[in-house]
Amino acid sequence: MNVTNTTLRTERGGNSLWKDAFRRLRRNPLVVLSFGVVVVFTLAAIYGSVVHWRYRILDAEMPARLQPVKQLAIRILRAESVRGQEPVYIRQDLDQRYQPPSRRHLMGTDGLGRDVFHRLVQGTRIAFQVGVITSLIAIPIGVILGCLAGYFGKRVDDVIVWLYSTFDCMPSLLFIIAIAMIARKGLMGVYLGIGLTSWVHLCRLMRGEVLKHRQLGYVQAARALGAGPFRILFIHILPNLMHLVIINFSIRFPAAVQTEVIMSFLGIGVQDEPSWGIMISNARLRLWEGIWWELGFTTLIILAVVLAFNLLGDALRDALDPRLRVTGDHD
Amino acid sequence: MRRSPGGRIRLLAVAGILLVSLPACGPRPVDSVDSGNVLYGITSRIRGFDPVKSGDVASAIAISKVYEGLLQYAYLDRPYRLEPLLADGMPVVSADGLVYTFKIRQGIYFADDPCFNGVARELQADDFVYAIKRVADVKTESTGFWAFNDRIEGLDAFKEASSGPDLTDYDRPVSGLQAIDRYTFQIRLTRPYPQLLWILTLHYACAIPHEAVRYYGEEFLNHPVGTGPYILKSWQRNYRVEFVRNPVWGRTGRTDRYPEHAEAGDAAEGLLEDAGQPVPFIDRIVQYVIDDASTQWLKFVAGEVESSGISRDNWEAVITPQKDLAGHLERRGIRLYRTPTLDVYYVGFNMDDPVVGPNLKLRRALTCAFDSEQWVKFYNDRITRARGPIPPGVAGYDDEPALFPFDLDRARTLLAEAGFPEGVDRVTGQRLKLTLELGSSDSSTRESVELMMGFFRKIGVTLVPSYNNWPTFLSKMDRRQCQLYLLGWVADYPDAENFLQLFYGPNQSPGPNHSNYINPEFDRLYEAVRTMPDSPERTARYRTMARMIMDDAPWIFMHHPMDYSLQHRWVHNYKPHDFPYGMVKYYRLDPADRQAWKEQFSFVHWLE
Repeated sequence: MNVTNTTLRTERGGNSLWKDAFRRLRRNPLVVLSFGVVVVFTLAAIYGSVVHWRYRILDAEMPARLQPVKQLAIRILRAESVRGQEPVYIRQDLDQRYQPPSRRHLMGTDGLGRDVFHRLVQGTRIAFQVGVITSLIAIPIGVILGCLAGYFGKRVDDVIVWLYSTFDCMPSLLFIIAIAMIARKGLMGVYLGIGLTSWVHLCRLMRGEVLKHRQLGYVQAARALGAGPFRILFIHILPNLMHLVIINFSIRFPAAVQTEVIMSFLGIGVQDEPSWGIMISNARLRLWEGIWWELGFTTLIILAVVLAFNLLGDALRDALDPRLRVTGDHD
Repeated sequence: MRRSPGGRIRLLAVAGILLVSLPACGPRPVDSVDSGNVLYGITSRIRGFDPVKSGDVASAIAISKVYEGLLQYAYLDRPYRLEPLLADGMPVVSADGLVYTFKIRQGIYFADDPCFNGVARELQADDFVYAIKRVADVKTESTGFWAFNDRIEGLDAFKEASSGPDLTDYDRPVSGLQAIDRYTFQIRLTRPYPQLLWILTLHYACAIPHEAVRYYGEEFLNHPVGTGPYILKSWQRNYRVEFVRNPVWGRTGRTDRYPEHAEAGDAAEGLLEDAGQPVPFIDRIVQYVIDDASTQWLKFVAGEVESSGISRDNWEAVITPQKDLAGHLERRGIRLYRTPTLDVYYVGFNMDDPVVGPNLKLRRALTCAFDSEQWVKFYNDRITRARGPIPPGVAGYDDEPALFPFDLDRARTLLAEAGFPEGVDRVTGQRLKLTLELGSSDSSTRESVELMMGFFRKIGVTLVPSYNNWPTFLSKMDRRQCQLYLLGWVADYPDAENFLQLFYGPNQSPGPNHSNYINPEFDRLYEAVRTMPDSPERTARYRTMARMIMDDAPWIFMHHPMDYSLQHRWVHNYKPHDFPYGMVKYYRLDPADRQAWKEQFSFVHWLE
């Protein structure tokens, strides 16, 4: 009996941080729903990318040395060539302008007769691209600088703290716009603008955590065993802080999406691709006439994505960082 | 005048006729003595009130309320005719067409201003000499020298002399500009200039008192002092501008009258009801800068706006498929005015560009790929396809079929012959990418560009738009950095010469020939034609020159817009005009009717 009990306790007590977090997350229906939304949008983004890249690859828009790749793609996709064809999201038909939602056009059509649903899917692709790529820029910067500052302290710390304080004191949207202007308009400008400005929070967080961890016993032990500073930092300390990175990612992803929408709305972001911001900007002029579908669906989808990511981010933070837990969930 | 394309700009450009009344619950003017007879309007951003500096339509309209020139357009006459304004009768022209002698009206006074030290200042011939010298003065950075360039005896030498470091000496005589006596002004030309009289209606030739320029210095831009029917009361840049009736007119007994001569049909429209009455009718004009087209429109439908253009986005709600006014608007007494404009919109090729410049077939292919039918449909049929550089309504317009009409097969053939079969460069294997520079990035421009990208995609050419703000765009063109650019040209006067000069070699960037098109044969014809008086022979030559341009395809001719404007029923004497400068003095309001209308049709009723 005791043995059985012990076994049970061992099993439960031995739950890792991740397993425990997963269990907590699964129990919250709102989180499950948010997760579902995120999965659906991820799939939509993947689908959008396939459509987009199929067209890009099959079209002749590539240098001669890549032509064999194209031939291969044509064979795999069993398409002759798409020259003269247009992907559905840019196909224009002025006779089909401003059609309300119907079976043929699930979410209606816009001012050039393009299908709003397919444009929204492409908008999702761009939003995900922005979210992921800006994270790939910002997270490594934040993590590496934060770790270095926290671990080495002194001069290194001074320089890095000065750097992020400087970045932090600039109004972020203006700073992003300035970077985007230098990098020319378009997606690259958006990536760099958001990526290069949004690492500060993570960097500060990592620095603080590393400062704490380097005093802990396991780090002292590693040092006593002769481990080098980088080994300690990236093999010992960093894995213990990975949950912070994940939380940060889930929080900054929707923020990046929002920023991209704002930039595109203002005309300094994505150029001539169906970004959500551009769609809103185009659609608002006709709203008063009762042409609600383009603006309505776009807004709804932005709301859904941002809300789902934020809920998920909050839940992840609660689950992974027990100190921040607000619910009385202690079993 | 250059103008960026797009319905909104067009709409704003006719700002002088876009009138807004404030909402009953909104801010009321503090000085409401005669608030009933106030015109509230919308204007584009005004750059300043210095007549020599402004090249844009909104500023020109604002300036023309305060300043006046020797001549003006007869308000109701079509085709356009000139009549004296500050001149006492039309000029005496010498037999060789080189000397124009104007008598100036006596008893015309400038508005009271501190710069005159309390003394009434009468208009004199010298004020015109001074004004035109200012246009030539390099230091004023005038945008208007093109109007007098190489035309007036001694003026080019004056310009040359003004470029030195010293202050410009306005006492330096210019033999072609003479005040013979206090009331006689004479212009001597180097060669005939048949367009001169049209030019003299522009704000570049308005009378300017030198005292004001001296008194205000740089600030003269913000302190207009003219003889016109209104004076500037206040100006908050990019927000609000207010004009009030010029009190000097009443005090000195100056009486200008509403025209008695009109076109057939004008009387039936009620345009002669005020014939012979003294102008202006309106006491105050208040205009706001409202950029957003939907805000403008909502103000109009709420009864807070007296007049409005129709943006592309509002089109279907306002105009029936038969091109009439929608019933719910008609029932409210709103009137629709439809007029063709003397504008042309185009995509220009920079002939300096190594890709499009030397490749005639490529330019022709792109012209053939431009789907004018879809383009017209996109603009709700409110534009007409442009075949050449000269708009309909101007002598020299050619209604022969276009040389390179929309034809995809022909476009593809031409493109292959140009070295880009199916849009792919035969040498590099790369798809042809062309960059289109644009001067605005509002939604409507973007949408139209996306449509155009679709046209070129059909022949395999990728069009890459590059959106700039207006000043950046202008400087890119001036520095010849554009490959393709989208632009409009608004006539300065109703003569085809004003359009053909856009292809004249010496007018290359930074001049108005932004395509940097050079064709010695064309230049020779142009030089010959610009001194010719109006005649069938000149018209025939205009046609020949226009054909030449169409054949060489330095532009893709897009469209000539139709102007649609709406007026509420209490605005009287309104007649659309291509050159509406100073016309506001003829408009009359019926404030009581405005009040009655507002009570009858409030915003709440409108939404029903």
